[in-house]
Amino acid sequence: MVDWLTMTIQMVSLAMAGWFLVSTLRDQPMVVPHLVGMGLLWLLVLGQVGVSVAAMVGGERPAETAMFVSYLATVALLPPACAVWGFMERSRWGPAVIAFACLILPVLLVRLEQLWNPVV
Amino acid sequence: MSETSPPTARTLRTGPGRLLVAVYGVFALAATARGGYQLATRFDEAPLAYALSLLAGVIYLVAAFGLARAGRTSRTVAFVACGIEMAGVLAVGTTSVFLPEVFPDDTVWSNFGSGYLFIPLVLPALGLWWIRRVHRLDQAGEG
Repeated sequence: MVDWLTMTIQMVSLAMAGWFLVSTLRDQPMVVPHLVGMGLLWLLVLGQVGVSVAAMVGGERPAETAMFVSYLATVALLPPACAVWGFMERSRWGPAVIAFACLILPVLLVRLEQLWNPVV
Repeated sequence: MSETSPPTARTLRTGPGRLLVAVYGVFALAATARGGYQLATRFDEAPLAYALSLLAGVIYLVAAFGLARAGRTSRTVAFVACGIEMAGVLAVGTTSVFLPEVFPDDTVWSNFGSGYLFIPLVLPALGLWWIRRVHRLDQAGEG
């Protein structure tokens, strides 16, 4: 995993969560800019996933590989799944769904970093 | 929130229910994966705690599908699942506080879900509230 990429994803994710929460409070449904934002975030996430998979293929594996891979798959699938689910809803609760996704994404990345580089 | 849709089209998955399904889905995945992985790798350490995590995951999954699907049956299914979840988090939470030796390792519901920002405690309450609300609106629309 690339540290600065993790940090960037976490910052972008939290910033977008703020944006989506504002949309929710202003009673707006999900619009195309929301989707573009989620798409950009997803690209960053896929970049990190790609680098991690390449490192694992190259032989650098965390101790709990199965756990790491399952978290990695969750992180890769969460943004598109929540974007589709939220976009289907034409009310303020659409942005609420992607705000939720953007709030748990940084948490999942913390877990990934812990598994990749255990401190203990 | 728009109230323009006819009462028959009102389902659990629209409005706030949309968010509930998303949260339930993520928790179903988290608890099932956690319980399953721990049962598979460290069964001897705390089988009861790991089995409970797995059970919690399955209940979250049932609740998520119950909320996401339209119809009376799935509404009942979701209501029962949220009820079991509420009872589970209260029972396991209380047990873990007063009799910690029962669970050598934490479950999703230990200390009322403190390891998950107490979301496991709040989620069933919100779920039950939402199902009741939709149910009442439906009955008001028919009557």
